[in-house]
Amino acid sequence: MTEAGVTVPAPQAVARRSYAARLAREVLVQWGARLGLAWIGLLVLAAVLAPWLANSHPLLLSEQGRVASPMLRFLTPGDVTLLAAFLAAVVLLPLHRLRLRTRLAAFAGATTLAGALAWAFVSPPPIAIYEQYRVNEAAGAYDWVVRAPIPYSPRDYLRDTGDTGLMAPLADAERAHWFGTDENGADVLSRMIHASRIALGIGFVATGIAMLIGVMIGGLMGYFSGVVDMIGMRLVEIFEAIPTLFLLLTFVAFFGRSLYLMMVIIGITAWPGFARYVRAEFLRLRQQDFVQAAIACGLPLRSVLFRHMLPNGVAPVLVAASFGVASAILAEAVLSFLGLGLVDEPSWGQMLNQAVQAAVFNWWMAVFPGGAIFLTVFAYNLVGESLRDAIDPYLKKTAT
Amino acid sequence: MHIYILRRLLLMIPTLLGITLVVFMVMAAAPGGISAQSLIEGMDLEPQAKKALEDYYNRRYGLDQPAPVQYLRWLNNVSPVGFTLDAEHRIDGFSLWKGSDLGTSFRYGRPVMDLLAERVPITLLLNLLSIPIIYVVAVAVGVRAATERGRPFDVGSSVVMLALWSIPTMLAGVLLIGFFASEQYWRWFPTAGLNRREALDMPFLPHWGALWDVLLLFGAMAAGAAAFLALSRWAPRRLRAGVAALVGAGLGYAMAAALPGGAGWGLQLLLAVALAGLFGAAGYTDFAGFRATLLGTLGVMLGAHFGAGWMGEGFVRGFLLDRLWHLVLPVLCLTYGGFAFLSKLTRSAVLENLLADYARTARAKGLAEGQVLWRHVFRNSLLPLITVSASLLPALLGGAVIVEAIFSIDGMGKLAVEAVQGRDRELVLSITLVSGLLTLASYLIADLCYAIADPRVSYD
Repeated sequence: MTEAGVTVPAPQAVARRSYAARLAREVLVQWGARLGLAWIGLLVLAAVLAPWLANSHPLLLSEQGRVASPMLRFLTPGDVTLLAAFLAAVVLLPLHRLRLRTRLAAFAGATTLAGALAWAFVSPPPIAIYEQYRVNEAAGAYDWVVRAPIPYSPRDYLRDTGDTGLMAPLADAERAHWFGTDENGADVLSRMIHASRIALGIGFVATGIAMLIGVMIGGLMGYFSGVVDMIGMRLVEIFEAIPTLFLLLTFVAFFGRSLYLMMVIIGITAWPGFARYVRAEFLRLRQQDFVQAAIACGLPLRSVLFRHMLPNGVAPVLVAASFGVASAILAEAVLSFLGLGLVDEPSWGQMLNQAVQAAVFNWWMAVFPGGAIFLTVFAYNLVGESLRDAIDPYLKKTAT
Repeated sequence: MHIYILRRLLLMIPTLLGITLVVFMVMAAAPGGISAQSLIEGMDLEPQAKKALEDYYNRRYGLDQPAPVQYLRWLNNVSPVGFTLDAEHRIDGFSLWKGSDLGTSFRYGRPVMDLLAERVPITLLLNLLSIPIIYVVAVAVGVRAATERGRPFDVGSSVVMLALWSIPTMLAGVLLIGFFASEQYWRWFPTAGLNRREALDMPFLPHWGALWDVLLLFGAMAAGAAAFLALSRWAPRRLRAGVAALVGAGLGYAMAAALPGGAGWGLQLLLAVALAGLFGAAGYTDFAGFRATLLGTLGVMLGAHFGAGWMGEGFVRGFLLDRLWHLVLPVLCLTYGGFAFLSKLTRSAVLENLLADYARTARAKGLAEGQVLWRHVFRNSLLPLITVSASLLPALLGGAVIVEAIFSIDGMGKLAVEAVQGRDRELVLSITLVSGLLTLASYLIADLCYAIADPRVSYD
C-alpha cells in the first residue's frame, strides 16, 4: 500500500509505469526501505487483524455442546470494512496485467461496497461484558474455549481481578500481560495493537489531505507565477511562521477531540511543505516543451496541470509525503501525550503519558508504546530517505 | 541595505496580521467560540454569580461583540499607532504614539506583557543553548560523512542521525527523567523546574570553603582531561581502545552498583559491557576530533567526581551551576533531533564543493587535504548552513512545548498549552504574535547573515 509505484496516478500508462517501476526497484534494493516497509506491513497486519489478535471475547467456545463465536458477534462495522479493504488490496496487488487505474477503482469500489454492507448489517451488542467469559470459564460452564493470542480487549479493565493497574510485564503469574497493564488495568500490548489503527489512519489521511491542498495551491502558484505566486507564498509563509504544534493545539483545544477532526487539522497545518515542492517543480516544468505543446493544443487548464505536469513533478512530493506521514504520526502522539488527544480510544502517545506519574517511573509504559512510535516514524523516514536517494542521483551513496 | 531591511520589516506586518488572523479565526469559528459563556462553563457557581461574571467579562474584554469587531479591537490595542478609547470603549481620538497594549490574560488576571516577559526568556535560553550544540555536532558529522562518502562512517552516521530524528521528544524526555532523575534508578538530575528553591538565595558563582579545595577540584579535572587527551592523541589504537573500554566497564559496574536496592549480576554485566563497548568504540575510532572530545569530557568528569569527593566542607553550588544542572536533560532533548537535517545538509554542501574545480586546483598546487577541506571547501559550504539557521527556530519553539511540559519548565511553550486549554484569547493571540515575530526576525537575520557571508549576495 505504501509502495511508491502504487500511489502514483498513471494517466499515461506506458511512459509512467516504466519510471514508477524503476523507482520502486531502486527503492526496494535498499535495506533501509525494505526494513521500513516490512515494519509498516507488520503494522498494517496488526491493525487489520486486531480483533483476532487481542480480544477478550473468545474466538470460539463450546457451551453445553453449542459452539459459538463471541468474537465474531462483537465485530464492529469498522473491523469488517478494514478486513474487506485489506483482502481487496491483497487480491488486486499482484494483478499486474490490469492497469493501475483499474486496480485502484476496483479497490475503492470493493471497499465502499463492503463498508456499506457492513454498516447496514453488522451491529455488535452495545454493551460488552468482558469478565463473563473468565468467570464462566472458572465456573466450568464451557466445554472448551479458543482464545485470542492476547486474551484481553483494549478496554477490558480487568474489573473481576481487583487489580488497580500499572502492573509490570509478567509480574502476575496467573495472567500473562506481556507488556504489563496501564493505569486502568488494561493490557498494554492489546491497546498497542488496536492503537496501530489510529497511527496508520492518521498518517495516511492527514498526509493525503495535506498533499491535496499543497498540490493544488503549489501547482497554481508554480503555473501562474506572478501575482498568484506572491499571494500564495505569503500564505505559505504565514502558515510556516506559526509553529505547527501551536496551531494544532489551538485547533484541538477549541474544536474538541475527535479522530477525524484531528486528521483534517493535521492535514490543514501540514500543506505548506508540499506547496513549496510542487511550486518549485512546476516553475521548472512550465518552461519545458511538452507543457508548452499541451498549452498550444488548447487543452483545458485542468488537463495541463494534472495530466501533463503533475505526473512529471510528483517525485519530490512522494518524498515529502513519506516524511509527512511520519510527522503526522508524531503530531498525533504529541497531542495525545499533552492530554489533548482521544479520550478512551487507545493511542500510543496517551499511553506514553502514563510513564511518569506521581514521581514513579513505569518503564514499560515508556519503552513499549514509545518504541512503537519510534519504529513507525523511523520506518517512514527510512522509506522517505530511500525514495529521495532513488530520485536524486546526486545524493546517492555510491561513488559516481 | 538599509532600504532592504526597512522593506523586509514592513513586509512582516501583513504576515503578522495573517498569522494572528488565522489563529483568531480558528478560535472564533470553534463551537462556543470566544464568549463569556465558554469561559465560565466549567465553574460551579450560583446563577446570579454566573451572570455577574459573564457581564464582567463582556464589559472588560468586549466578548459580546461580533468576532470581526473583537479582532479589530485587539489589533487596535496591540498596534502602537491607532485610535484611543475612552472609558466606555468608544473611539475618542487618533494617536501616533499611544503604545501597544497586549491586554490582560483571562485566566491569570495579569497583564500579558508581564507574563511574556517572565516566560519568553526561559524558552529563548533553552533554544539559544541548543542551537550551537546542534550546529557543532551536525557540522562535524556532516563534514566527516562527506569526506568518507560511501564508507561505513557515511552510511552509519546517516542511519544513526535518522534514527535520532525519529525518536519522539516525549519518549526521550520520559526515558531520561525515568532513568536519570527518578528515585527508582539513578537520581543524577532534578526531575522538574529550572532551579532549586534554595538556589535562589545562593551567590551566582559557586564558591568553596578553602582555596585548597578550588585547586584540588580544578587540578583533578585538569589531570583527568590531560590524561585522557594524551591517551587519545598519542596512544596506539589498540591501547586507547582497551583503556577506554576498561574505564567504561568500571563505570558500568559502578552505575549498576549505585542502583537503589542493588542490581543482579546480569544487569551489572550488561551495563559494564554496554559502556565498555561505547567507550571502546570512542577510543577505537580514527575520527580524532570526536575521540578527543569524548575522551576529554570523560576525563574531566572523572576528575571532577574524584576531586569533589576529596574536597572539604563548605562548597556552595551557586545559582549558575544549579541552573546548568537543571538544564542538562531539557537541552539534550531539544538537540538530538536537529542533527539529522543539518548534517545531511552539511554533507551535501561539502560534497558538492569537494568535487568542484577549485578544490581540484587547490589539491593540484600541492595543498594538504586538510587544508583544502577546511580553508577552501568548508568555508564555501557554510552558506546553506546559514540560510537554514532560521528554519531551526520554529522547530525548536515547537519542541519547547513538549520539553517544557515534560520537565515542568515555566516557559512560553507551557504557557501556550495552558492558554489554549483555558481559551484565553489575549494570551493565545499574544503568544502567536510573539512566536511569529521571533520566527520572522530569525528569517530576516538569516538573510542578512547570508549577505554578510557571501559577497556575491547584495540586497541593494
